[in-house]
Amino acid sequence: MNRAQNAPVHLKPAPPAAGRVLDAQLHLLDRQVIDAEGLPVTTVDDLELEGVEADSPMTAGDPPPVISALLTGPVLGTRIFGGRPPSSRLIRLPWKDVSAVDVAIKLGVRSEGLDAGWVERWIRDKIIMRIPGGKHDPH
Amino acid sequence: MKRLLGVALGILTAIGGFVDIGDLVTNAVVGSRFGMSLIWVVGVGVVGICLFADMSGRVAAVSGRATFEVIRERLGPRAGLANLGASFFINLMTVTAEVGGIALALQLVTSIHYLLWIPLAAFAVWLVIWRVRFKIMENVAGLLGLCLVVFGVALFLLQPDWGQLAGQALSPAVPQTENAAVYWFYAVGLFGAAMTPYEVFFFSSGAVEEGWKRKDLIQSRINVLAGFPLGGLLSVAIAGCAAVVLMPAGVEVTSLSQIVLPVADAGGKLALAFALVGILAATFGAALETTLSSGYTLAQFFGWSWGKFRSPGRAARFHLSMIVCLLVALGVLATGADPILITEYSVVFSAVALPLTYLPILIVANDPQYMGSDVNSRGINVAANVYLLIILAASLGAIPLMIVTGAGA
Repeated sequence: MNRAQNAPVHLKPAPPAAGRVLDAQLHLLDRQVIDAEGLPVTTVDDLELEGVEADSPMTAGDPPPVISALLTGPVLGTRIFGGRPPSSRLIRLPWKDVSAVDVAIKLGVRSEGLDAGWVERWIRDKIIMRIPGGKHDPH
Repeated sequence: MKRLLGVALGILTAIGGFVDIGDLVTNAVVGSRFGMSLIWVVGVGVVGICLFADMSGRVAAVSGRATFEVIRERLGPRAGLANLGASFFINLMTVTAEVGGIALALQLVTSIHYLLWIPLAAFAVWLVIWRVRFKIMENVAGLLGLCLVVFGVALFLLQPDWGQLAGQALSPAVPQTENAAVYWFYAVGLFGAAMTPYEVFFFSSGAVEEGWKRKDLIQSRINVLAGFPLGGLLSVAIAGCAAVVLMPAGVEVTSLSQIVLPVADAGGKLALAFALVGILAATFGAALETTLSSGYTLAQFFGWSWGKFRSPGRAARFHLSMIVCLLVALGVLATGADPILITEYSVVFSAVALPLTYLPILIVANDPQYMGSDVNSRGINVAANVYLLIILAASLGAIPLMIVTGAGA
């Protein structure tokens, strides 16, 4: 999401849309993602758009791009320092799994089966659960 | 009745939890060098921490989002990461100082060298974070911290010239033995000690831990508005004791034993015992808070699962990061670095980082999408903006003053 370089010269007001208008920068990027059980999964590090070619300007008649996934993982580094990770390195949260967008983004699925949860699962299974009391529920 | 007890407990916990190693050391140093002439800074700092702690608690209770989630969301990844780097570094420094403080207090009690206590202190901090419930942890440390009231008692027992102390406090002036730059350097340090950013991270994350809702806001506001100023009075008493006993004797505070010297002078062994328990509880409580804050800031920035209300297995990266932080603190202390010196630097660097924490909170507290109808009132915004100017001045002044004065030498 590098806005400055790709910004069109003249920006027409957005056409009226049915439903809620979400600003990608304001309502999606850097928001907390929470799974169906209320467990935090990750933060939205970037977005994956479909129906738009990278680095080529859009013309007025083109069909609007569609959000296909929320991205996380190494993409945070490239978003901060520039560049683009290879597509195979992206960790995707498919947009169809999103159930609500509020001050946090809620998923309709559990994080247990998601790619985005693998580091958490690895640390849990290899380290935390091996320390006595790792399963202990405080309440 | 139960509600009343809850409020009383909350206030007492806030009083006992207010003082940490930074407040202890800075207030004693300032008292021994400047008398009561810098006490106004404690007042300014206490009002500021009340203002912003209340605000961050309100954001957390209404939106369910803790401070560092908000910082990332508002500042974006780049400025957010820079902020995380600075806040985390200072927080880690404070963890180190607090763990060192526990060990120094244990050394005073047992005469066993503090380096031997450090592994045990760090392990105990980890064990409490690993096992003990949030509420119990907070209350026990806070209530035992109330033993520090003995500094106030000691001040009375010392029968000082109250007129002279009040005169120093009410018409502050740079003492003849010190120059203005050093005076302002310690003003910044005292301000940083009173407004340490971890208090806000901990307060807002604690609100999420305890599941605060809108209806809990009144109680939290009472806790803050009564507890923090009374906690600030403890700071003043520590400075007062130093001003009455250490300043005339020309003692320069470089160790914990000098900080408790006036108490032992005034009240003997019993008072000293109270002071030691209080210091132990205050540093242990603050070590818990700062260690948790390291975990909170990291987890909230990267969106990991966090919180003591979950079992460690359900917040794995959060718990691992805190273990790593404690190990780093242990490693730094094992080099023999003086915990008191680390503390003095940590409060100054805290002052530098203040705007990074407080500006995003102020912005979000005014965002109706997060806050609905609970956005800041006009009065709070005016006060907060005035404070933002003070914070900015302290932040910009800290490093130049540190260089000019050779860190207050």
